[in-house]
Amino acid sequence: MITGSARVEDLKARRPRLAAFDAAPVTLPGVEIVQAMFEMPGSARECIVPPGLHPTIPAALVLQAWRCPESPWGPFSLVQARAQTRSGVRPRGFVTGAACDSAAAATALASGFGYPALPAEIRWQRSYDTVRLEVLRAGETILALEGADPDPLAPGDVQFSGTLNLADTPRGWRLVQVDPEFRPTRAERLHPKLSAFSAAAWGDPRLDPYFPVSASVTLADVTIPALRFVCRPDELAFTGTERV
Amino acid sequence: MKFGIFFELSVPRPFTRAIERQVYENALEQARLADELGFHWVWAVEHHFLEEYSHCSAPELVLTAVAMQTQRIRVGHGAVVCVPEMNHPIRVAERAATLDLLSGGRLELGTARSSTWTELGGFGVNPDDTKKTWDEFVRALPVLWRREPVRWQGRCFSMPERNVLPKCVQDPHPPLWVTVTSPGTELDAAERGIGCLGVSSASYQEQERRTREFHRRIQSCNPVSSVVNDQVATLNFLYCHEDRKRAAEIGMRFMGTFSVANSHLLWTREAFPTRAYQSLANLAPSASSQATNPSEGVALPEGLCIGDPKHCIDAIKRWESMGVTGVNFLLNGMEVVPQAAVLESMRLFAREVMPQFQERAAVAPARTAAAVAR
Repeated sequence: MITGSARVEDLKARRPRLAAFDAAPVTLPGVEIVQAMFEMPGSARECIVPPGLHPTIPAALVLQAWRCPESPWGPFSLVQARAQTRSGVRPRGFVTGAACDSAAAATALASGFGYPALPAEIRWQRSYDTVRLEVLRAGETILALEGADPDPLAPGDVQFSGTLNLADTPRGWRLVQVDPEFRPTRAERLHPKLSAFSAAAWGDPRLDPYFPVSASVTLADVTIPALRFVCRPDELAFTGTERV
Repeated sequence: MKFGIFFELSVPRPFTRAIERQVYENALEQARLADELGFHWVWAVEHHFLEEYSHCSAPELVLTAVAMQTQRIRVGHGAVVCVPEMNHPIRVAERAATLDLLSGGRLELGTARSSTWTELGGFGVNPDDTKKTWDEFVRALPVLWRREPVRWQGRCFSMPERNVLPKCVQDPHPPLWVTVTSPGTELDAAERGIGCLGVSSASYQEQERRTREFHRRIQSCNPVSSVVNDQVATLNFLYCHEDRKRAAEIGMRFMGTFSVANSHLLWTREAFPTRAYQSLANLAPSASSQATNPSEGVALPEGLCIGDPKHCIDAIKRWESMGVTGVNFLLNGMEVVPQAAVLESMRLFAREVMPQFQERAAVAPARTAAAVAR
């Protein structure tokens, strides 16, 4: 079976440190979520995820953006790039990189939940039939994503999976399992178009989202619950999972 | 109660020509033995691009080889993917009739629509459309097989008047089935008068509900053909050994390996939000399990035929009691069970388990002994 082949050592750059696993649950009401999936070539499959995870067949990259009007840290936006994987047999996104436009939120999400959130400017633009998302860092556009021609769906039709965030924890380097709960109230499917993507800025220059699959925009209340599990990054979840 | 074997043809890495060939040869040997032992069916799936999990992309060729090497066992497409980007309906009708002819009237035709983005995306299929095209295929096939000449005006294909050749040996045509993974497909089967070919694990309770609904609905169906196939078959894993512990050890290893390979696929609902795929289907973990401990594997389905003969008899009796009329068995996964052990398991099952159900059938004929003529 296929498993990741990335050296954990090579994945440590720009990853956060968790001093403890005691972050309080966070409730984020009315979050606008744009999610887009792209296929990646086989050359970007095993090599970008650690040995504890299984990449999907085919390899896929999910871009997920949250626009949060309210939070303990004020309004903020968070954009994650995630390689779609399986931890054991469960669907999970391995977060390769993240951007956040609020220093307070970025710090809290990194130190509490292991999101590798780096500062960036995040621009949202919604017109009648298009959602545009642009992420800029140091003046460079590192992501320009567009979703057009919305098609209404039932709120539950969009699937969200939790993430595994590599972090330096009190137990050493671990994949921190974050399982946000999504309570969607509105959902639309969109046609995705990626006009800018700086792979290195999202964690690995080999990320290559070359084939658009789908996109959606969802309105949901989101809760990030307390952490329950971490996994050893170099051991399969069946044996490498630890309760915290 | 009828018993069948079910081929996914899963292949372990590294993919060498030798290992793929070995998997195919082992399957053919299993089919020959199944024929000898009195199994009723051998089914072969149609899957594309599903690395490790299934390298069975041309089941009609596998089944032709099986038909040429066997005498009695029925050969089943389990199932033809009914989307025109993968299979044009005229070609499905032609290939099926040819296989029916070559096998001497032993074909069963399962129909399906594919549940992975891995496959649908590879062929450029819009997941929103697959239920519609499947519906048109199952209505068109009996017409293409029987009417001479035939014309068709539909949504997914149209044709001017032609004679689709050859014609099936079975009159009026091979039994039709639909693979059932998502809850609710059993109702689609019942409403069209076609058999329910379970290809995913379901609990006793869920299978009982599905079977009850199927049998109830099919009484008032609007059949797509002049015959109704009111059979319900389920999928199971078989590893039968005199030593229950040994059976569990080996059988669970093959089932676990198979399930993990299954979970690596990119499921349609996960990749492409749509109303047309309401569940992740198959053995994939459900979305509601996200917050669970990742060290846990796929929840083990009830009623597996992994154990000693008595265990298998008890499990099958339970399936039978809820109206299931056939059980199909996966015999191996990724070749984790040595071929000799697979064959021995089949022999033990045939010797100790199958007679229990043949005797029962003799006392009380199966409710679905034959398709109900209309």
